[in-house]
Amino acid sequence: DGVAVLPAPQNLSVQSTNMKHVLTWSPVIVPGEIIHYSVEYQGEYESLYMSHIWIPSSWCSPTQGPECDITDDITATVPYSLRVRATLGSLTSAWSTLKHPFNRNSTILTPPGMEITKDGFHLVIKLEDLGPQFEFFVAYWKREPGAKEHVKMVRHGGIPVHLETVEPGAAHCVKVRTFVKAIGRHSAFSQTECIKVQGETLPL
Amino acid sequence: VPCVSGGLPKPTNITFLSINMKNILQWNPPQGLQGVEVTYSVQYFIYGQKKWLNKSECRNISRTYCDLSAETSDYEHQYYAKVKAIWGTNCSKWAETGRFYPFLETQIGPPEVALTTDEKSISIVLTAPKKWKKNPEESSISLEQIYSNLKYNVSIYNTKSNRTWSQCVTNRTLVFSWLEPDTLYCVLVESFVPGPPRLAQPSEKRCVSTLKDQTSTLKVK
Amino acid sequence: LRRCVISLDMRRIEESFRGIKNAIQAKDTFQNVTILSTSETLHSIKPLDVCCVTKNLLAFYVDRVFKDHQELSPQILRRISSIANSFLYMQKTLQQCQEQRLCRCSQEATNATRIIHDYYDQLEVRSAAIKSLGELDVFLAWIDKNHQGTSAA
Repeated sequence: DGVAVLPAPQNLSVQSTNMKHVLTWSPVIVPGEIIHYSVEYQGEYESLYMSHIWIPSSWCSPTQGPECDITDDITATVPYSLRVRATLGSLTSAWSTLKHPFNRNSTILTPPGMEITKDGFHLVIKLEDLGPQFEFFVAYWKREPGAKEHVKMVRHGGIPVHLETVEPGAAHCVKVRTFVKAIGRHSAFSQTECIKVQGETLPL
Repeated sequence: VPCVSGGLPKPTNITFLSINMKNILQWNPPQGLQGVEVTYSVQYFIYGQKKWLNKSECRNISRTYCDLSAETSDYEHQYYAKVKAIWGTNCSKWAETGRFYPFLETQIGPPEVALTTDEKSISIVLTAPKKWKKNPEESSISLEQIYSNLKYNVSIYNTKSNRTWSQCVTNRTLVFSWLEPDTLYCVLVESFVPGPPRLAQPSEKRCVSTLKDQTSTLKVK
Repeated sequence: LRRCVISLDMRRIEESFRGIKNAIQAKDTFQNVTILSTSETLHSIKPLDVCCVTKNLLAFYVDRVFKDHQELSPQILRRISSIANSFLYMQKTLQQCQEQRLCRCSQEATNATRIIHDYYDQLEVRSAAIKSLGELDVFLAWIDKNHQGTSAA
């Protein structure tokens, strides 16, 4: 097939948001041919103690696309080395290695989505389900001057959780941020949302 | 009379079913022996000890389960169990479980749930699930004593607004106040222990209605 | 005396172990021998010794067990790598306690660790590694119990 040597993939980089990590590279082009790629990784443990060991990625050994979801491979908060090579039939390129090892503690954490509802005098919050690694730090307060801010940790997204029993007629405001214990970091706060509970006033 | 080992196929799917440390060994009959009156014998092994031990109450039994709760009651140890099928002078090889670790593998049963209501609130009192015990006279051990981080996920469903919300609590008494009067609410409670996921058993759904609002009835008069 | 309290995400490590538990424990044919599982060793550790024993047992796994175990299956290799790298991260996390002198080692803690190493040395190295890997759930349950309030639900 006229290809003596297959070039190694270039421009490896990792995009990571909310603990989802994707390795991308520039595709190797051979007109009329489908190129496959193999991705392998090495955690800090392997590089320190077993440097000869490279582990095939869970989902991309082999793969066709010039990208690979490495989320299930990067499972500890240590630097990971990553490498990719191209294959075409029996031809394989040299390995191309990510310039700087990737550590998931660099992931971008975005403020979570939230839905505030009320059931009678009860504020209920449902948070975006970002996966089991995410906890939520919910701050809420009564919208009046000098109001005290209350805080609640919510462990799971995706299910409605009781936030507070509130007085009718008063508006209450809520903002939330995520916390990822595995990397010891939290996101920025979300936009503040306020909600008013109708009905008779509570007896003093 | 010793039987000819390997003359029968082995029992299959041998596992422990463990709830609140009540540990039942269960298995399926050997394949291809429908209609044959097979019996079974069970042995168990404490990991790290020296030899397999007979479970006398499960020798030559025809049922396909055996209660090994007493033999596996030290939940910090790990165990194996095995079963063989017997028919006349023939018997199967032993079919063995994997290593069973009650402390990590037992399912946590639901708490007992007591509900009381008034016009606008429901009080919930939970009683922690109890560890299996051999004799009713023995003093009970609450699973909270074994799992100090035991928590409860309380879900409450407002049948009028068709809304559900939940709350994760560690204490066993809680009050949902400022509910709607004369409304049917249903409560479901699940115990869970943070850590390795375990199969969970939610409580039975308990429904109770808040009382009619006395003040509005006075106004009507 | 303040205790060493560190934040650990145990969920992924426990999940990785569960994926290899049956395969690894099935290879352990010496059911009458244990390394970590004897109740006396780990369960007698006092709260103030928890940090030291955690540090020592992490080193036991990182420096001996994972190195002595040779794995061919990529699926198992991935999970062991996940655990090994997580232990490496935990060692770094414990480093902070050591710097604050919260990780002292009493004689009992040192003895407990030495007993485990002795048990390990009594077996042929591959068998010892397989047995120690198969008993990771004992170590993880002990970490969960002793570093509570920090492990994620």
